[in-house]
Amino acid sequence: MTQILQIAAIALATLGTGAATMTVMNEDIPDLAVPEGERSADSILDGLSFEIFGTDVGSGAVLEDQIIFGDGTFQSVDCQNYWDFGWSDYETKVVDDVIHFSARTICPDAPHIVVWYGTVDGNTVAVDATWTTRRWYWTNQIAIIATGASVPAVDAAAAG
Amino acid sequence: MTPVGARAGVVVLRLAVLIAVLVLATRGAHMIREALNLQSRPDSKQQVHRAIMFGAVAYVGLLALPFVPGAETGLAMLATFGPGIAPLIYVATVASMTLAYTVGRFLPIGAPERLLSLLRMRRAAGLVARAAPLSREERLAVLLDGQPKRALSLGLRYRYIALALALNTPGNSIIGGGGGIMMMAGLRRIFSPVPTFLTVAVAVSPVPLAVMFFGLQI
Repeated sequence: MTQILQIAAIALATLGTGAATMTVMNEDIPDLAVPEGERSADSILDGLSFEIFGTDVGSGAVLEDQIIFGDGTFQSVDCQNYWDFGWSDYETKVVDDVIHFSARTICPDAPHIVVWYGTVDGNTVAVDATWTTRRWYWTNQIAIIATGASVPAVDAAAAG
Repeated sequence: MTPVGARAGVVVLRLAVLIAVLVLATRGAHMIREALNLQSRPDSKQQVHRAIMFGAVAYVGLLALPFVPGAETGLAMLATFGPGIAPLIYVATVASMTLAYTVGRFLPIGAPERLLSLLRMRRAAGLVARAAPLSREERLAVLLDGQPKRALSLGLRYRYIALALALNTPGNSIIGGGGGIMMMAGLRRIFSPVPTFLTVAVAVSPVPLAVMFFGLQI
């Protein structure tokens, strides 16, 4: 019995120390810093859809995606296909006829947060985004830059 | 060439060979990484998560076994996933060493030998069988096999330093590797649990901490 208690104590000490170590050593990586300024949820991008082409800044991998605005919400087709992110609220502000938008999308089933910030100028879009995954053992972030052009809007239900 | 000059030449040659091996290993690790395409991307995040979890469990299990070069699994994970994975590797290393120590300390003296024989790990079973009847001093001497005399003398007086030295000795796999050393340390209760745990926590920290804080590229 004493031996079992000792083994349990060693296991608990290992787990406890491990958890404490992970908490201290696992450094957080902040999400994309969206430029300050007053934005509103006025849905002015509703009905628009953009095909975007970009790169993963870290690896140089080419990424292709489609972003959709509808009913005051935003969706990335890739995020939906890979992780079922669903729709998220977006906010906008207009500066010199350029629409600045931001959206913070959270995966409901896994610890992924994607923060989007983009500008829509006419029928073109430029986007910055970070895809941050915060798991108990590490925080991993993919920084993405992309540009694109508007395409006919897709059916929201089909995309989701 | 004088004997001193010849000795210096041998040292330089060994260093050059070591550096060459390290460079080749680094290039090989990067080639494997690219071949596996295990970078964290939106479409591969689940595979990466599974690979890390599987790798960590395999790492803990392999490293705890005598004569199994499990440390290479940790280095491969660091090379593949980068400095961000260093805390996990560190914690897994401590857990693995503690597991081996616990097996050695608390299982009946013949159990590890039988288990290793069952796994067809004859060298590891032989090591345990040889270590079981030894005295504390003899077992410490086995742990410090290959160390300079001065280190041996220091180790015999300060056995926890000896343990840390043994764990960090390059090529310690010939005396059982990390798992074998810790299993032997647990046998016959040479080392107490709390100081052993603290020793392991410090002894295995240099590589993962260096990778994490200084961003060393493996």
